[in-house]
Amino acid sequence: MPDAQPLQLVPTDPRVPRRAPVRALPRPPRIVSVGGGKGGIGKSLVAANLAIALARRGERVVLVDADLAGANLHTCLGLELPGRGLADVLERRAELAAVAVPTCVPGVRLVAGAMDHPDATNPKLAQKARLVKQLQTLDADRVVIDLGAGTHLHVLDLFLVSEQGLLVLVPEPSAVENVYRFVKAAFWRRVRHAVSAHGCEAQLRAVIGEGTFRSPAEILGTLSARHPQSGAVLARELIAFRPRLVVNQTRTPQDEGVGPAVIAAWRKFFGLGMDYLGHVPHEGEMWRAMRARRPLLVHSPEAPASLSFAHIAEGLAALEAAEVHSGRTT
Amino acid sequence: MKPLAEQSLYEILEVPSDAPEDDIVKAWDRVSALCAPGALATYTLIPQEDAALLGRRLEEALTVLLDPVARQRYDETLSLTPVPRGGGCGQASASGPEETPRPRVLPPVIRPRPMPPIIPPRRDSPPAGADLPTPIPLERVAPAVEAAEAPAQVEEAPPQIQVAEAPGRGELAEAPTPVEAAVPIPLATPVPVSPPFAAVADVPRPTPVPAALAPATVPPVVPAATPAPRPQEIIVGDGTRYTGDVLRRAREARGITVQQVCERTKITRHHVENLEAERYDLLPAPVYLRGILMALAKELRLDGQKVARSYLEAMAAAAPPPTTATRMTQR
Repeated sequence: MPDAQPLQLVPTDPRVPRRAPVRALPRPPRIVSVGGGKGGIGKSLVAANLAIALARRGERVVLVDADLAGANLHTCLGLELPGRGLADVLERRAELAAVAVPTCVPGVRLVAGAMDHPDATNPKLAQKARLVKQLQTLDADRVVIDLGAGTHLHVLDLFLVSEQGLLVLVPEPSAVENVYRFVKAAFWRRVRHAVSAHGCEAQLRAVIGEGTFRSPAEILGTLSARHPQSGAVLARELIAFRPRLVVNQTRTPQDEGVGPAVIAAWRKFFGLGMDYLGHVPHEGEMWRAMRARRPLLVHSPEAPASLSFAHIAEGLAALEAAEVHSGRTT
Repeated sequence: MKPLAEQSLYEILEVPSDAPEDDIVKAWDRVSALCAPGALATYTLIPQEDAALLGRRLEEALTVLLDPVARQRYDETLSLTPVPRGGGCGQASASGPEETPRPRVLPPVIRPRPMPPIIPPRRDSPPAGADLPTPIPLERVAPAVEAAEAPAQVEEAPPQIQVAEAPGRGELAEAPTPVEAAVPIPLATPVPVSPPFAAVADVPRPTPVPAALAPATVPPVVPAATPAPRPQEIIVGDGTRYTGDVLRRAREARGITVQQVCERTKITRHHVENLEAERYDLLPAPVYLRGILMALAKELRLDGQKVARSYLEAMAAAAPPPTTATRMTQR
């Protein structure tokens, strides 16, 4: 069982020869980003453990530490800070594929965060575009992006380019507040991109400016009445914007109800959809795993929290299968 | 998604409009947990005034959707709302029962349950009929009286009730021949049938009299004797308006004192007194008043739902504080 191996340094130069690109790339990797607005709610741990759970389902996963201001995913995975990372990609010193290093879990590679580069915390648009392009051409089945806290534009943009955006929430008012702020900011950024691409930004601005709207659905009603085409653009965005929710650190049965309640409230009062992937119970072993610099799924694979990550990975795959089936994505 | 104020109660509860009561209760629990003060899921998501509005709509949902009659009426207003909102909910539902009595000509139509207990006079010349009949139906009056007395043994309702009830039974038993129907039998003295007794009469339905007891000649008793046609809004929909006065008279008709009511229902004496005197401002909040009215109605053998709804509506109409008014008017 490779999981049982003690922690060991992984050479930066991978022993396994990189898979030759002869393999006709069937499709770009599916990008999953893990965000949630608030800091300290376990985004990095969810990202790391989800990546492992996905790898155990047979996927080739690349984990990207996009927390530009406080990268530490390599520590969660028990790696020394690799010599190269995301900063080198942003500064055009290296290709993304070249800086992905193997980890202690087979099938999971890591692109470490941007370290020691003050400029890297605020990438320019061209840098972001380059990064996104490279993410989409990676030779992998899956890219899991660990986003930083807050609602910085680069955080929102990475959240929006991903096929599946995961929101991590802990059952506390502060986290709920931040997750709503984050998801609203992401939604409006997405809408702005869409309407400016269609040249109907002014119409939307005019509609929003003249009323006190509480939810996008109300704005949509007014907009489509006045400009049917712009309304159609907005309607598409409303349907397409569908984050996934994970509730972390649940301690009581009531906590387990928070996720569905948030989704119901989000639909009822904001008019948008969200999918629930499940909750991760509070894990007493977590601190021990952290001290040992080992991901939970490696440290104690049978713990309830570990099992819940497998469940979440399964849910992700099921949602994708459903979307492919309904023809919404490629 | 419509703004909260424009959503129907079903949309607020997110249930189909034909949802059974159980589902409505479950949905109500779910939604009210969502917007309860301090609920985690809506923290910072909805502004204060929206939460307050939702609370009021939920309260409305409880009183309307769990009361079959009120729900039916609400459903009717819902199906009317697409039409410009001129009609008003009360008028629309009133048109049905209002029209039924008018086309009823002399041969009485058999109706399973006469909705308005008191039938408006349809005879254009009651005095002419008044002196006619005395010789003819002398032997027929006896069975009429017999029939009238039958329910009195079953129910201890005041005697006036039978006046209202008798024609219904007569019609059901056997339709009279046109000749007999044409000859009205007036009562010796006009019976003052007033709302309270109509209300009492409406609810405890006496056991049906055997067909043998119900004579064919009963029907004409009522029309001549009916005092004045009652105002339309009392008859419409579901019978009588249960004002404080009506409740008092219903209580007196049953021979119960306020003291006895209080002892048996455990309602505080001043509540009962304020209720009967319609001192609305001294009464408790509608939520509690509803329970009190239900208990009182049960004691008086009245339909609790009807009493509570009617009284609360009258109260809301009499003194419309902004909150109650918005809650009661369906927009």
